[in-house]
Amino acid sequence: MSRRKFQGFISVVFIVAALLSFGAAGIVAQDDITVAVVTPYLAQPGTQFMVEAFQAAGEANGWTVNVIDTAGDVAAAVSRLEDVAAQGVDAIVINVDPAQVSVGLEAAAAAGIPVFGMDAGADANLVTNVTSNGYAMAAETATYVTDRLNGVGRIVMFTFDPYPPVQKRGIIADAIFANSPDIEIIDRVTPDVTDGGIADSRARMEAILAANPEAGSISAVWAAWDQPALGALQAIEAAGREGEGIVIVGIDANPQALDAIAAGNGFEASVAQDFTGIGGTVADAVARHLAGEIIGQGVIYVPTVLVTAANVAEFISE
Amino acid sequence: MNTTPSIPHPARQIGRILRRFGTLIGFFAIVLFFWSQRPDTFMTVRNWLNITQQISILGVVAFTMTVVMVMGDYDLSVGAMASLGGIAAALLFQQEMPVLTGIAVALLIGVAGGLLNGVLVSLVGITPFVATLGMLTVFSGVAFFISEGETIFGRAIPEQFSDFARGGIPLGTIGEQAVLLPNLTIVALLVLLAVWVLLEQTTFGRRLYAIGGNKEAARLGGVRLRLLRLIAFAVTGVGAAVAGLMLVSRLASANPTQGDGLMLDAIAAVFLGMTMSEEGEPHVLGTLVGVLILGVLRNGLTQLAIDSYVQQILTGAIIILAVTLSRLIRRAS
Repeated sequence: MSRRKFQGFISVVFIVAALLSFGAAGIVAQDDITVAVVTPYLAQPGTQFMVEAFQAAGEANGWTVNVIDTAGDVAAAVSRLEDVAAQGVDAIVINVDPAQVSVGLEAAAAAGIPVFGMDAGADANLVTNVTSNGYAMAAETATYVTDRLNGVGRIVMFTFDPYPPVQKRGIIADAIFANSPDIEIIDRVTPDVTDGGIADSRARMEAILAANPEAGSISAVWAAWDQPALGALQAIEAAGREGEGIVIVGIDANPQALDAIAAGNGFEASVAQDFTGIGGTVADAVARHLAGEIIGQGVIYVPTVLVTAANVAEFISE
Repeated sequence: MNTTPSIPHPARQIGRILRRFGTLIGFFAIVLFFWSQRPDTFMTVRNWLNITQQISILGVVAFTMTVVMVMGDYDLSVGAMASLGGIAAALLFQQEMPVLTGIAVALLIGVAGGLLNGVLVSLVGITPFVATLGMLTVFSGVAFFISEGETIFGRAIPEQFSDFARGGIPLGTIGEQAVLLPNLTIVALLVLLAVWVLLEQTTFGRRLYAIGGNKEAARLGGVRLRLLRLIAFAVTGVGAAVAGLMLVSRLASANPTQGDGLMLDAIAAVFLGMTMSEEGEPHVLGTLVGVLILGVLRNGLTQLAIDSYVQQILTGAIIILAVTLSRLIRRAS
């Protein structure tokens, strides 16, 4: 083939390929209700459950649900919010901190498009945010510990006050333990979380075990999330003190915690967020808003579930 | 390359136009396609201003990346430098330092990091790939270290700074809303102009192209290879830091990874732009077209509600297609 023929051919191929690649776009319906879901976090299992539940409920309502994942890139999430605002979708659902995407939320507001939070954080630019109640989750595990100890015992707490959603959990546990005069907090630890939270918590717990050598001198470990609880469990096992009946509880019900609860060697309880319920509740809020109802609640809480040996099997099978 | 015969041959001229402007024609084809599919929302002033704002940050990184790529070098550390520059400024804001101090420190970090890359490449003689890959890891580690891995947001970022990304020069009103030429777009245009002048209108730029053409010949011809490479890497470094500051302003927050994604897109944009040069050299206006293609694809595909993973596949395939074709053309000629 001569050079110029080849060049002409190449250019045509490029254009045709560009056009063909978009052929699929023609089939997207334009008339029905379209809802865009924007998240950088679709790779997280919790987000996947929420989005799938939202899609199922949305499709049952006859909506076109367009899920946009920016693979961890928050700046791209802002851009995609601007794009769907320009596109004129009927509603937008976000699963990202609203404070970080406020430029995109303003674009949606300027276009008159309602935005809903799916475990996103409360924000004046959202119609509402659907999430789990951090206070309630902490109350579940703190009362579990108090009841297990019959109101008497020495407790190690693992908290993390620099992060507001976890700080909330800590103050509730503080209040519940303070309400039982015979419960003593022997340490309130803020672990270093840069290693994921397990390793440093284990080291801190080993030091506490060394400082409290008598059997029965530690009654329980209350952790504001699962990783420190898992670290404490490892420390207790490494010290050979798993026979003392130290009660360990976490929050979040991550897969490792569920395994530990099922194994039944001290890690007794955690709290599972109902991600499927959150996704469905967001769809419900969108439907209510589109039907003209005014949603007064800036935050809608979906109940969480206490996971213990009694019900752990159903969470592991999920 | 200049084989134009004395008697113009229409077919040959068309071939030449296509060779030179095939990518640009492809870009317009993409625009026309989106326009036909979304006639009411794609080809609007507001959406185009929106696109220019979305690509402004990538643009700044890609334009300054062009400077090192002219010499045949790369800088893989630009994304990490954007993260580092941004988080350094945000940490100073958190300490209630003046906004200008934060900006100045971020820019200095950009220059210093770029010079460090330049020293490794030019004086120590490590290949740019290895040197800047190593520095990528270092910059990223420093960003994590100084921020302790945390995101800085909320009141820590002064409103004066985050309002910059929301503001712009008023162009008029459409309907009831004011239309602004976004400040971030203006920054990107200024950087574009500066890089264009530097590369196309100065002796410095011509020497960089000479190095890119043939390092040994350039050196024998009296070009101060080492110094020029040092300066070029410093320019790329400071561009990355500017982009990091723009990101902090746009997101009103900073975290130690938020610029990391810019590097691959910037290199892709420069490669797309290189397909528009007869010699296969990077030129900053070509890079602009590359950045526009990436930005328009993302905006248009999102408006068409194409699955985000399919979008990624399409974008990657189009980049590879364009660059492969351009390479085949040059091989054929």
